[in-house]
Amino acid sequence: MQNCLNPKIKHDDDYELIAKINSGKTELFHELVRRYEKKLYNFGLRMCGNVQDAEDMVQDSFINVFSYLKDFRYETKFKNWLYHIATNACLKKKRKSKHAPERELSLEEFLPKEGDEIPVRIPEWAYLPLERLLNEELSSVIRNGILAIPEKYRLVLVLRDMEGFSTAETARILNLTAENIKVRLHRARLFLKERIKVYFQND
Amino acid sequence: MTDHSREECILMFEKLSEYIDNELDGPTCEEIEKHAMDCIACKICLETLRKTVILCQSLKQEEKPVSGEFSKKLLDFIKNNSAPLVLQK
Repeated sequence: MQNCLNPKIKHDDDYELIAKINSGKTELFHELVRRYEKKLYNFGLRMCGNVQDAEDMVQDSFINVFSYLKDFRYETKFKNWLYHIATNACLKKKRKSKHAPERELSLEEFLPKEGDEIPVRIPEWAYLPLERLLNEELSSVIRNGILAIPEKYRLVLVLRDMEGFSTAETARILNLTAENIKVRLHRARLFLKERIKVYFQND
Repeated sequence: MTDHSREECILMFEKLSEYIDNELDGPTCEEIEKHAMDCIACKICLETLRKTVILCQSLKQEEKPVSGEFSKKLLDFIKNNSAPLVLQK
C-alpha cells in the first residue's frame, strides 16, 4: 500500500510508536489501536449507520494497518494514512451490503426552479443560535440525512465537516483532486440542507 | 431570484460552500456579498447552507464509546490473524 498522502509532514506524534512497532515490538500495536479505535469507530457509525458495520470496518482497517505498517514511510500523518485505509474498508463494506443506492447528485436538482415562489425572508432556523435549535430530534434528522446522501458524496462530507480534514487532506485520503472534493462537498451539503429545510417546514 | 439574471445567481450558488469555508479570493467574496445583499433568494440559500454546515459540524462532538467487548475482540483478532503477516516482512 503506497504512502501517497502528504509529502511535507515533518513530525507526527505517532511516528515514534510506529518505529518501535516496526522494529519488532509488535506488542505495542495495541497502543496504536487504543489511540484511534474510538475515532475510527465513530467515523464508521457516521458512514454506515449501524454498530455491526462500524465494528467490521474498524477491524478490517486495523488488520490492514497491521499488515502494511512496515510500508509506512513517515511522509504523512499516520492519522491521514489510517483514514485512507479506513475509507477503502468502508467502500468495500458498502459494496457488499448494497446499502444506499449510489447516484450522481447534480447541482441543478438543488437550484431554485424558475417560476418558484420567491421567499421573502430568511427562515428562523437559519439564524437561531445553535443552543436553541439543536435537540435530539433534529440531531436524528441530521444523522439520517447524512446516511441518505449517496456514498461518494457522504464520504467527503463526513471527512470534511465531521472528521475535520482540510480540502487538501481529504483529496489525498480519497485520491481525488481538491476541485473534485469541493464539488462533492457542496452537493452533499445541499442535499442535507434540503432534509433540514423539509424538517422545519413540517415542524 | 429577484433583479439578477439567473446565470448570475447560478454562478453564486455554485460557490456558496467555498465562500462558507473561506476558500475564495477577496474579490470573489465581495461579489458574493454584494449579490446576496440584493438577492433574497440567494441570501436565503447562503444562510440556510451556512447553518446546515454549523449543525453538521456540531454533531462531531457526539462520540460513542467503543464497547469493551469489541475492543478486546479486536486486539485478540489482530493478535491471532496479523502477527504472521508482520513477521513475514
